Amino acid sequence: MLGQVFNLSLLQNTIRTATPLILAGLGGLLTMHAGMLNIGMEGMILLGAFFGVVGSYFFASSFMGVVLAVVVGIIIGVIYGFFVIELKSDEFIIGIAINIFAGGLTIFLLRSIFGVKGAFSSPGIVSLPRISIPLLDQIPVLNTIFNNHSVFVYISWVLVVLTYIFLYKTPYGMWIRAAGEYPEALETVGVRAKRMKYISSIACGVFCGFAGAHLSLGYLTLFTENMSANRGFIALAAIIFGASNPIKTFAAALLFGFFDALGIRLQVVGIPSQFTQMIPYLMTVVILFIVAKKHMMQKKKVQKEEGAIQ
Amino acid sequence: MGQDMIELKGVTKQFPGVLANDAIDLSIEEGEIHAIVGENGAGKSTLMKILYGLQQPDKGEIFFRGKAVKISNPSVAINMGIGMVHQHFMLLPSFTVAENIVLGIEPRKRSIFMDYKKAVEITQDLVRTYGLKVEPQLKVRDVSVGIQQRIEILKALHKGADILILDEPTAVLTPQETEELFVVIRKLVKELNKTVIIITHKLQEVMALSHRVSVMRQGKLIGTLETKDASEQIIAEMMVGREVLLEPLEKTTVEGKTILEVNHLKSRDNRGLLALRGVNLHVKEGEILGIAGVEGNGQSELVEALTGLREIESGEVMVFSKNLAGKSPREIRESGIAHVPEDRLITGLSKDATITENMMMGLHDQEPYAKKGIHTNKQTIRQRVETLIKKFDVRTPSQDVLVENLSGGNMQKIVIAREFAFDTPILIISQPTRGVDIGAIEFIHQQIVEKRNEGCAILLISAELDELFRLSDRIITVYEGELTGTFNNGEISKKEIGLYMTGKRKLSKEGGA
Amino acid sequence: MKKVFNKKDMEYLISLFLSIVVALIIGGFIMMANGSSPFEGYRALIRGAFGSQYSLANTFGRTVPLILTGLAAAISFRSGIYNIGGEGQLYLGAFAAAYVGITFTSLPGPVGILLAIIAGAVVGGMYAFIPALLKVRYKIDEVITTIMLNTVAILLTDYLVNYPFAASQGKMGGTDMVEGSYRLTRLVPLSTFNTSIFMMSFIALTIYYIMQKTSAGYKFKMVGQNSSFANYGGIDAKKQMIIAMIISGGLCGIAGVFEVLGTHYRFLQNISPEYAFDGLLIALIVKSNPIGVVFMAIFFAALKTGSITMENTTSIPSELVLVIQSIIILFIAGEAGFKGMFKNFLMKRKLQQKVGEE
Repeated sequence: MLGQVFNLSLLQNTIRTATPLILAGLGGLLTMHAGMLNIGMEGMILLGAFFGVVGSYFFASSFMGVVLAVVVGIIIGVIYGFFVIELKSDEFIIGIAINIFAGGLTIFLLRSIFGVKGAFSSPGIVSLPRISIPLLDQIPVLNTIFNNHSVFVYISWVLVVLTYIFLYKTPYGMWIRAAGEYPEALETVGVRAKRMKYISSIACGVFCGFAGAHLSLGYLTLFTENMSANRGFIALAAIIFGASNPIKTFAAALLFGFFDALGIRLQVVGIPSQFTQMIPYLMTVVILFIVAKKHMMQKKKVQKEEGAIQ
Repeated sequence: MGQDMIELKGVTKQFPGVLANDAIDLSIEEGEIHAIVGENGAGKSTLMKILYGLQQPDKGEIFFRGKAVKISNPSVAINMGIGMVHQHFMLLPSFTVAENIVLGIEPRKRSIFMDYKKAVEITQDLVRTYGLKVEPQLKVRDVSVGIQQRIEILKALHKGADILILDEPTAVLTPQETEELFVVIRKLVKELNKTVIIITHKLQEVMALSHRVSVMRQGKLIGTLETKDASEQIIAEMMVGREVLLEPLEKTTVEGKTILEVNHLKSRDNRGLLALRGVNLHVKEGEILGIAGVEGNGQSELVEALTGLREIESGEVMVFSKNLAGKSPREIRESGIAHVPEDRLITGLSKDATITENMMMGLHDQEPYAKKGIHTNKQTIRQRVETLIKKFDVRTPSQDVLVENLSGGNMQKIVIAREFAFDTPILIISQPTRGVDIGAIEFIHQQIVEKRNEGCAILLISAELDELFRLSDRIITVYEGELTGTFNNGEISKKEIGLYMTGKRKLSKEGGA
Repeated sequence: MKKVFNKKDMEYLISLFLSIVVALIIGGFIMMANGSSPFEGYRALIRGAFGSQYSLANTFGRTVPLILTGLAAAISFRSGIYNIGGEGQLYLGAFAAAYVGITFTSLPGPVGILLAIIAGAVVGGMYAFIPALLKVRYKIDEVITTIMLNTVAILLTDYLVNYPFAASQGKMGGTDMVEGSYRLTRLVPLSTFNTSIFMMSFIALTIYYIMQKTSAGYKFKMVGQNSSFANYGGIDAKKQMIIAMIISGGLCGIAGVFEVLGTHYRFLQNISPEYAFDGLLIALIVKSNPIGVVFMAIFFAALKTGSITMENTTSIPSELVLVIQSIIILFIAGEAGFKGMFKNFLMKRKLQQKVGEE
């Protein structure tokens, strides 16, 4: 039975389930660096998934699906930014509002546009292309795991690297981090901190749009109610777990993706999957605890050393 | 001096409820050190923010080298060659020194990447040119306040500043660091032909450093003088309006016994560093003991340790021969210490609550204000608050007004009324008149002396030496968490006490009681 | 009793009213875009919420969990600690009630009910204690931990009812029915309106009394407004936060208990349609005022029950109310900012006029 669970397709599924977490995680860590904790990612992904289907279905093009998902992501990013940056509203209230708005709107539109309840699936929805890497199909194991995935799997990996370079190797990334750490300091050297915050929240909308489009157009071509299924929050967990670093967040997203994939396979063979599903959430709480505890210990140690000198 | 670099004409800035700048005319000449002085809230900082493009004037014109300009944001100011060192440093603690210095005009590789190596080189070049030593690769959070100020100055110079605005640059510096800063400023002006505007409220610094001085009061520019023609007295009078005639305070002698005694008190600041290194002091009934010191030398920590708000590492706090060290704020209050904290908005009040709610703090579960300690008795509370509002002359339409709608002086009166009305044998009063108008200052001083005359033992902490000299019976000086001297009022001059405040002189430790 | 409304409260009530009106108007436009008449839509909605004894019963039946979770959120917000974990606490409380109801079946009815309520409150309260402790002891952001712990609790109960406590007949993601004598009496036939409304009212009055009339309520409020001030005044802010969080969790737990004993008679794996999130929104909208919670809970309940009739009689999907609710939240969250912008605008105009006059 274990063979049914732990096999190559588990790893293949890991890659696939981790992708929306990676994409949303990258978006969320950009807002995190700019000083905004975005819990609206859940809703942003959901909207992306829905409008991905809408675009793909009506224009008979998966590219248009992605475009529409991104446009909606930008709009929500601007709205989030406007309330949090301009009106200085509580970021977590706005996040919750966006989640509820997304949940309501997508179901509402599902009924009024497609006239269905629960889920919409149709041959008219064009799925995103799969990418076959030329030389990889010669290598048996790696081929199964890494090849023939939907296009956003590969895009997300590229984005991890690009985000890392952007944040730490370019002045713009520096400004985003500065806008989060001490916006006034950035203002006084002539860079608009607000603008950097807007850029990050719009980027988050775009990335969540990608994540949503991947969900609804990547492998299955359908939209179901609440199909984001907490992925926004798991992405948040990955960000926290990865200390807002793109590479570490990527690793955390892969890890959480693995547990997600494992859960699905356990269910198939009739083993309770709830505990594996719990792991990302529990791990986040545990890691926060460990970090806080370590921080306190360090402070105590410094005091002791100083006390010894005096 | 040279030509007019900058000229302000009729610059006006209105904030809700305050006219921060009222038709200001001011000219800054090339190559001068121009001091701008005034009390808190006189509008100095606002004026400089306008000059640096952080605020927009509602009215008025700015001329730069004779040409009318509109400084719509800091970039414009930077391009004109204006640099500013803010009172609260505008540095990113988790970034390196080099990154902070080049922030906004980063050297680039292939036009989009940050060239960090180059940034380090730039920093090293700056260090060589201006003789201000900094380590480019260190994180800003790991360097001292004095160094952070150097980084700020280098940052401004790197952006091509010809005019350097320094906002209260000495507020956070030790006397040595202040001296060093003055040397740097003089060098910048003399050798490198920079122009410096320095905002301050310390008159000695004005006299020591500036060529000209402009005095501001309540949003207006009162006048500009050649420093060599001015004296501290003249400037002080311009700052406050007319000669301030303070009514003499009537002190009656009370021969009392010691009721507060602090022995070998040690405590740490928020960063975990030792802020009190074994403090000894005692206060008698009917005595005001003043504590003098440059801010940040352990005064805040002392007050917090005595009132239970900060952990005590070792030592005793004896009140009526009972050790209160390690007790909770509540137990300490009940043992007879009331406390006017240094920052009313952070610690002393809740600005979102009504006057009544603020005044009932500490009484909220006491009879008769709460029946059985549970059910709030509105009636008795309202009566008490009404009495206190009258007695302490709090100007408010009703006791249901939210505190945030009151002026600084009235807020402070609420804190003082509440704490004084506990009628405790000991009062700890910190910065009683900070940011308070002159009328209220006088009233508060009288209330403090009245308490003393009733036999209360008072520990008074203030950054204003004048206040300490006016109120205290005895003054002790602190420097880096240690006592450096204790004097009866009248024994020592303000000038001399400065030496003890800066650790340049020390008396042997105050022994026991 | 004389009620003092200060200027700020008045302004807030006006903003709230405007927010609701604008959200309803936007809702109307969405109905039009959907090809329906907003007048018919809202008429159906009102009829569905208040039009008959049955619909009234459903509306008020729904207020029970909303008021409880609303007050739970209010008491935590007031104390400066954000309990977003109500949903998880509700699930655990509900499960505890079901456990009592299927395990201790031989107790007299009222005793069993009381035991279930206590069990739910304790379990909910303890589950809230974890993030509270992490917050005050280790300064870990409770927003994140409570969000994470929500899902943990939901998954845990999901496991429990599908495996160890799965119903003996048929596998349907629920426990067995609770003992008959523990089930709360229905007050209106066919509706779920039951006697829990009386118990809820008693609990709500108690909470109101604590929050508004006692020194404990004062402590909560001061800790929430300025914890440094509270500490300085001799209030143990950490202790107050923990107490507030436990009360908050307990209330959510009780909300779960009533769902089991009054509505479903068993624990179901999706027992709550995000009641605790609705409660959160209710508390946010009324700025944690306990009386406001009651009115806003009735409004939310009416929207919900009314929307079902609206969906059945017109072609407007019921989820429209979620959109309306989220728009209200957006406006309320932006209230201070909007007001600031408006005042700034007025000041600038006034100043410009002054300049013009000269």
